[in-house]
Amino acid sequence: MKTVIRNTTVADKLLFLFMITASLAGIFISRAAMPQGGEVVVEINGKKAYAFALDEDRIFAVPGPCGDTVIEIKNKKARVKEAHCPNRLCEKQGWISKGVIVCLPNRIVVSVGGRSANSSKEVDAITG
Amino acid sequence: MQLQDKYRIAVLSAYALALHGIENLVPTPIPWLRLGLANIVTLVALVLFGFRTAMMVTMIRVILASLFTGTFLGPSFVMSFGGGLTSTAAMGLTYRMSRGLFGPIGLSLVGAFFHNMAQLVLAYILFIQRIEAMYIITPVIVLLGTLTGVANGAVSGLLIKKLLKKEDDRIQNDIANERQSQ
Repeated sequence: MKTVIRNTTVADKLLFLFMITASLAGIFISRAAMPQGGEVVVEINGKKAYAFALDEDRIFAVPGPCGDTVIEIKNKKARVKEAHCPNRLCEKQGWISKGVIVCLPNRIVVSVGGRSANSSKEVDAITG
Repeated sequence: MQLQDKYRIAVLSAYALALHGIENLVPTPIPWLRLGLANIVTLVALVLFGFRTAMMVTMIRVILASLFTGTFLGPSFVMSFGGGLTSTAAMGLTYRMSRGLFGPIGLSLVGAFFHNMAQLVLAYILFIQRIEAMYIITPVIVLLGTLTGVANGAVSGLLIKKLLKKEDDRIQNDIANERQSQ
């Protein structure tokens, strides 16, 4: 360890510090620049019907064969607040921050996901 | 090229290849994080035997490793080759341009950075093609590369020192022996 430290020149240390600060700054800047959370997309009958930002709280109703389905977005999570279908499985699923809630009787699919969430999965392998 | 150089390149390539293989067996927390242990050999070759030896060793290592794993001329070979070529060239240039300014750790950092950048550019061209994904991933990879680069540089520094000392001792012994025989 001593030899290692003695072998390091001033330029080495400066370069190391510069790289660490630059990359850390880069991480924070890219995090801040990218939209967090993403959006809530509601599909009816397989067609995209609504899209809302996940970081804005709101409650809205979506019409369907079994009556209106009330969807709530709060604290960057989404849930089906109220449904009038027989099983109400969508209601029981509760809050989700990613993934999907499906209400089959109403043919509604609520999916939560952001572009940033998808893009980070893009890299499968980097080999060197 | 002298016969001694050929032996040197062969031995160094063998070491680099072995490290390259071992590194594939070491589990890392993130699947695409690699330690770059083979860069130790490249760096030692660069400092002790010059740029051409280092470049030869890197090329031989990358090509043979890809032949052994069956990825020759595949996308991962292109990334490996590009990274090795760029990092060795960058280290060689830095070493030549700024003699004495950077120690092994600094050279290793330069090598790691250029290796990462070359691979990111190649990954962008070959696989990803989404610039916002690159913005997120680049600083993370550069940070990890800096950390592994420092570790590799430290090991290279120790190795270079030890090898130089051995060479020194050998020359001293030779001189002493010669004096005795006279």
